[in-house]
Amino acid sequence: MTVAAEERELRDDELNGLELSARLRSIWQTPSGLLGALTSVDHKVVGRRYIVTAFAFLLLGGLLAILMRIQLAGPEKTFLSADKYNQIFTMHGSTMMFLFAVPVMEAFAVYLVPLMVGTRNIAFPRLNAFSYWMFLFGGCFLWISFALNVGPDVGWFAYVPLSSLQYTPTKRPDVWAQMITFTEVAALAVAVEIVVTVFKLRAPGMTLDRIPLFVWAMLVTSFLVMFAMPSIMVASTSLILDRLVNTRFYDSSSGGHPLLWQHLFWFFGHPEVYIIFIPGTGMVSAILATFARRPVIGYPVVILSLIATGFLSFGLWVHHMFVTGLPQLGAGLFTASSMLIAVPSGLQIFCWLATLWDGRPVYRTPLLFVIGFIVIFVLGGLSGVMVASVPIDTQVHDTYFVVAHFHYVLIGGAVFPLIGAVYYWFPKITGRMLSERLGRWNFWLAFVGFNVAFFPMHILGLIGMPRRVYTYTADMDWAHLNLLSSGGAVIFALSFVLLLVNVIMSLRSGTLAGDNPWNASTLEWATSSPPPPQNFDRIPVVKHRDPLWLDNASLPVVAGLSVERREMLVTSLAEAEPQIREASPEPSIWPLLTAIATSVFFIGSIFTPWAVLWGTPPMAVTLIGWFWPSGSKEDEE
Amino acid sequence: MTAAERHPKLLYWAGVALGPLAWGINLQGVYALAHFSCETTKLSGTIMSAVLALVALAGAAISARAVRRGAGPEWTDPQGGGPRTFMAWLGVGSGLLFALAIGNQLAASLMISPCLR
Repeated sequence: MTVAAEERELRDDELNGLELSARLRSIWQTPSGLLGALTSVDHKVVGRRYIVTAFAFLLLGGLLAILMRIQLAGPEKTFLSADKYNQIFTMHGSTMMFLFAVPVMEAFAVYLVPLMVGTRNIAFPRLNAFSYWMFLFGGCFLWISFALNVGPDVGWFAYVPLSSLQYTPTKRPDVWAQMITFTEVAALAVAVEIVVTVFKLRAPGMTLDRIPLFVWAMLVTSFLVMFAMPSIMVASTSLILDRLVNTRFYDSSSGGHPLLWQHLFWFFGHPEVYIIFIPGTGMVSAILATFARRPVIGYPVVILSLIATGFLSFGLWVHHMFVTGLPQLGAGLFTASSMLIAVPSGLQIFCWLATLWDGRPVYRTPLLFVIGFIVIFVLGGLSGVMVASVPIDTQVHDTYFVVAHFHYVLIGGAVFPLIGAVYYWFPKITGRMLSERLGRWNFWLAFVGFNVAFFPMHILGLIGMPRRVYTYTADMDWAHLNLLSSGGAVIFALSFVLLLVNVIMSLRSGTLAGDNPWNASTLEWATSSPPPPQNFDRIPVVKHRDPLWLDNASLPVVAGLSVERREMLVTSLAEAEPQIREASPEPSIWPLLTAIATSVFFIGSIFTPWAVLWGTPPMAVTLIGWFWPSGSKEDEE
Repeated sequence: MTAAERHPKLLYWAGVALGPLAWGINLQGVYALAHFSCETTKLSGTIMSAVLALVALAGAAISARAVRRGAGPEWTDPQGGGPRTFMAWLGVGSGLLFALAIGNQLAASLMISPCLR
């Protein structure tokens, strides 16, 4: 762009009020109609789609859990066949871990992080759109396969040699492995976007020690995703190669090793737990500060805990392999790390309790879910310290004790904060409040149902009930506890039905929320509910860790951004000092077309290695189309 | 130019970098040395852990020194705005925490024979 042209460009400091708002809206809004919907690169539109899709997968995964609990409610039931049960528990685990837990956390980040750091869109918005389409296609691929009786049946971790061609000659493990590739590509894309958004697009003045705790949590999570997920992509791709073109990565008779799979899988699998849990802690910190009506005590301690947890999570994976015959010294080292991770987690919990203690808590539904989280997660953490110990782990390995433990950690550590987050941020996303009365019912049904469903599993495990059995005989004395557990699962499921009812009713006739219904302190509440396409008419300047509590009425702003094209402000990493103005991409159909081409390539390559040959040119064409200069102002720079 | 600005930026980060790095090397190193140390000396893992615990502590000490030269009170200031001191304090905490983690692994290497399978 020439200097003369730039001089003529209209800036936001030349417009005021409604005129500025209307101008920015027209530039940033997603085009209407079907084509507009398919081309959207607005982080709020993509984030909402991500959230809704992830919750749809939660409902499907939950439905499978209910089917399993019906089957196990009594001895020797024939509600499900052994084969169908194998598929269902694999689909349940895979759906919950890969299609719900990780995506929903990233989805909240996609929606909230740009708002919380005070910018107009996420970094790499077209990559963001591509990520969503890949996630959607991967999830549909898995569930359509299941509907066609090709659903994976080798567990959510697909251990070899069970998943090898020799022992499972169907396409079921291939479906699992390629679904992994889909979802990991999507997750990696979002992780890169979040890191760049947090590092380079923060509002001026939002120094590293003024970043909201939820954003810190998502930053740490994104680094975990970037370092952990390549491991599982390598594993799943090499499994497909073993099965399709007879490589021998996991065949011990040809120089491979089955334990290589377990190392690769769990090097991803254990950080995966923290990829799900750490965003939950960020949500807890955000909710707690608002409803305790004071900043979280120990802001630096919480961040230290997040970073330490992130690092330590990469040194625990072998505790999933204690019974594989590894050297005892090695097991001892991983026991030490596994127990030590309780320290940063404990530090965070003490900070939250101190915040509640010192604050003036208002017990609304989001805070109830946070308190539920603390109770359940501490219980899950305690059983976690137990299974970190080699002698105990050896005894309870592959029993229902472990099933109880990880559901306490994952549902307590992630789902409770998540539901709290739904109640907390629903007004911002939709402009309407959820019903408080239904919310309290929702919480108590969830809390009671969860504990009735999963606490008995500790005892079932200790008295010897193994995981992944589709039935048991009456003389095992497991029937009463299983029936109790199934009853709890139904109550727990009802809590989600109630959440769904609450969401539908509130969307239709909920109380209007206003900009900041909770009197919260972070920047997403400084804009309207729901936010306009441009997020903020003027980019705020941050002078305090809790900017809206400092002085909500006169939040300082920066001026000088273009109102003729999509433009964002890039700031420095540590001090968040303004550096340059950067164009933000326009809507485009190419991310969708690239995702379609990639999906054809991925799915084709589980059937024939030639897919690598004929699948690549369409991907190349769509990528060239994606990056082809379109003559827009963005491309002229 | 203030004293904080004159101080090399990397020193603020020393604890954040050295703590996890030392712990990662210790975890992988002792695990890899287990076979070797069974055949020769049982102390190789122990020595490695002790050295790396000192490295983590050194990271904490360097960050603590950076805090002393910077604007210390920013640590407790809810207003924020002192990112270097903030990162230096994180370095102090990180160095100490990972020294503790290495110490725990050191205890394991003292208690368990590397020859035990």
